[in-house]
Amino acid sequence: MSTTAPHQGSSKRSVVLIGLALAVVVVIGLVAIAATRNNDKTVSTSATVEMGTVTVNGAVLAPLPDSGPDPSIGAKAPELVGQAFDGAVERITPGSGPMVVMFVAHWCPHCQREVPRISEWVKAGLANGVSLKSVATGTDAELPNYPPSAWLAGEQWAIPTLADNAKTAAANAYGLTSFPYFVALDASGKVTARSSGELTEDQFSKLLATTKS
Amino acid sequence: MTIDTVTLFFALLAVALQLGIALTLLSFLIPSARIALMDAIAPIALLMAAAIAVVSMLGSLYLSEVAKFTPCKLCWYQRTAMYPSAILLVIAAFRGDGTVRRYVLPLVGIGAIISSYHILLERFPNLESGTCDPTNPCSLIWFEKFGFVTIPVMALTAFLAIAGLLSIRRLSSGPTNQQKVVSP
Repeated sequence: MSTTAPHQGSSKRSVVLIGLALAVVVVIGLVAIAATRNNDKTVSTSATVEMGTVTVNGAVLAPLPDSGPDPSIGAKAPELVGQAFDGAVERITPGSGPMVVMFVAHWCPHCQREVPRISEWVKAGLANGVSLKSVATGTDAELPNYPPSAWLAGEQWAIPTLADNAKTAAANAYGLTSFPYFVALDASGKVTARSSGELTEDQFSKLLATTKS
Repeated sequence: MTIDTVTLFFALLAVALQLGIALTLLSFLIPSARIALMDAIAPIALLMAAAIAVVSMLGSLYLSEVAKFTPCKLCWYQRTAMYPSAILLVIAAFRGDGTVRRYVLPLVGIGAIISSYHILLERFPNLESGTCDPTNPCSLIWFEKFGFVTIPVMALTAFLAIAGLLSIRRLSSGPTNQQKVVSP
């Protein structure tokens, strides 16, 4: 008896611990169910256009190379005709003055960091006569931070935005290879610079300056 | 049951594990509490480690196959550490074979390092690159609960919990050490 008693005590304790662990799991499950029972996921309203129709007028730009000279510098960028989030016609028409076109994706953490910064810079007058346009692209309802209209509205994004289509035709037409993506155009609509990735204020200023060179 | 419910369930499990890890570490300040806790956990440590690994494996499969959260490169690396650990630990738990720690500890150690880097990448996306690949979301956070629990945070918690459980000294050392095989 004296040799088996500790073993029996240990077994009993193990059973209690396993039971306790299972009880914790069950309680956690019930809490999860109760906490999410009335959750309403943010959804795009039927009136909002998250992915629009896009027409590309003109020759598309080559994809931005990872390194080396950009073959599209000096090339005329195509016109993009599509829809804003409210369904209104949105045009990005190169040749209508110095312009920077920005491509952002709602799920991209780099875009999520860059958008509020650009908002601040624009409010502070950094654009200084350069027309700014943006394209909400890579949109996917299954990915985080959807819908892009709500995301950009939340960031007080005052820049006119075209909602790219499901095949990202607008992004492809401008040679996008990664997000966020910037294309600078001079007054005649020719590409002066292209850049992908987050930009600092100084880099953004330099990109804007190329449109007037 | 919605994806939100299931992800909250996994996040709560991770927080519960984190609390367990924190309590265990605190018990090291009081020797008598540590001994009592180790005495209590040791007999079921293998079973708990196996359960954590299996739930982690099934959870990751749920996230990719049901919730359709595309696993990134780092997720796959963590899977290669967790999935074999789950299989090894289940077998070891049935056999009461504590020697499994020799195989599983390196796996979960590597997994924990990758998870830690993945968490850093989520917080500081520029560590890897300043851009997002359109075809393979990089450091995107699929969901975040309580302001800090993301998928790699849950993975790191599981790896650390398994490593802690397997580090308990008095794990069963395996049937070969417990019972001598007698040749006929």
